[in-house]
Amino acid sequence: MKFWFGLLLTAVQSAHAFSDADVRAVAAHGPWPPAFKADPSNRVSGNKEAIDLGERLFFERRLSSNGEHSCSRCHLPERNWTDGEARARGLALTDRNTPSLANVRLARWFGWDGAHDSLWSQGMRPILDPREMGSSAAQVAKLVRVDADLSCRYRRVFGAPASEDEKVLVDVAKALAAFQETLVSGRTAFDVFRDALVKGDKAGIGKYPESARRGLQIFIGKGSCNTCHVGPAFSNGEFHDTGVPFFIEPGRVDPGRHEGIKKLLSSRYNLLGKYNDDVARSSATGTRHVVLEHRNFGEFKTSSLRNLALTAPYMHNGRLATLRDVVNHYSTISPDRLHSDGEAILKPLKLSEQETQDLVAFLESLQDGGGRYRRRAFVEDCR
Amino acid sequence: MRAGLLLAFLAPAALACELPGGAAQQVKSAATTVVYRTPALKLGAHFAVEFAVCPAPESVRVDAWMPDHRHGMNYKPTVVALGGGRYRAEGLMFHMGGRWEFVFELRSGGRTERLAHSVRLE
Repeated sequence: MKFWFGLLLTAVQSAHAFSDADVRAVAAHGPWPPAFKADPSNRVSGNKEAIDLGERLFFERRLSSNGEHSCSRCHLPERNWTDGEARARGLALTDRNTPSLANVRLARWFGWDGAHDSLWSQGMRPILDPREMGSSAAQVAKLVRVDADLSCRYRRVFGAPASEDEKVLVDVAKALAAFQETLVSGRTAFDVFRDALVKGDKAGIGKYPESARRGLQIFIGKGSCNTCHVGPAFSNGEFHDTGVPFFIEPGRVDPGRHEGIKKLLSSRYNLLGKYNDDVARSSATGTRHVVLEHRNFGEFKTSSLRNLALTAPYMHNGRLATLRDVVNHYSTISPDRLHSDGEAILKPLKLSEQETQDLVAFLESLQDGGGRYRRRAFVEDCR
Repeated sequence: MRAGLLLAFLAPAALACELPGGAAQQVKSAATTVVYRTPALKLGAHFAVEFAVCPAPESVRVDAWMPDHRHGMNYKPTVVALGGGRYRAEGLMFHMGGRWEFVFELRSGGRTERLAHSVRLE
């Protein structure tokens, strides 16, 4: 009896063993967290006083036209910097789901449509958007010039405010970016498993739940989810049509990346413009070479999967309520709903109930527990 | 001495399909040879391709695509002629792992020739 049980166990273990190629695929999702690398386009990236200023500004409601909306209204720390709504609501309802700010510094493009090529230029958009904070460069500059504490902290970071409101707005956005660069999610059960697998640490490997392990094998195998959800952040940082309808309401569509590229290239705040602090413009390679194609219509950015369980609802318009709904979407996706001249990547995965549960278990293992951010208490006055 | 000078003048044309600095990939048709070199390919990182074409065409374009996925890159490279049939293409980026194909499009005398070479990125 013992003999047969032993044989059965060996068979089960080998069924879920990882090949050398699997190990390499899993290893590509780490190590975590990645080392900090300053943004060359932002001269205050990594600057402690800029981070302090940016943190204050992030929670500052006076940045909005009605004095009631701060960045933190939609980017809630306890929800992994999202808001739990299908579509964000600022001064009015917007068209898209609030993206998480966790690990945002690892992105190449910003926003669902990638209309921005730096974190600081992205940060200006919600401040100025009439549906979000509805503010203006003049209002932001006035606040920074008039409020004694903000003015003092601004001077410590940037020197005296420029006479041009727009320059002050860009500086504010760069301080906000410096703060957002510090928002890095913690290590997860997956990271512990990944490191153990790379080291060949059998005890460490064995601590990872069996269901999550099977889900991971679907993720890197049958599902090929890691074709796009790749790298330590589980995102290739680019854009895809995943068959999510892009009608916002009857007669109105969200063009996604197609419009995003147009906005990017026409923006005076892009990395080819005068506000990029990287004199060599080496940070602008992507902007210089990005190309607009018809297939970009209806493409949206590949989301990071870290702390995904905290960021429901899902997809660019919050159409899918749960992780299970997302897995079902890819399990039953109809190729007819994808661009006929687009990329041929997606096909229905046709997952069984067990496989669906396992893939969800794997996605849940990418959660670090959340809620660890604590806004710092600023006791020190700035004079 | 005279023979030495002559060799020096001939050398750039004769060596046009050899990139300085070592190993390179080679793609050939009956009439044309392309040698090219990339840095170690890395997912999601912009890179440049150095290449030489023999004989040198009137104009050249470089692109890359994933035949299995039926899509190309999201970026359009720019090509700078360095002289002597040598070029440098900048702004390429592979945003997915898998099989990619470099395509060198060479135009001369109103005709276009395409030479392709596959690489695999894990």
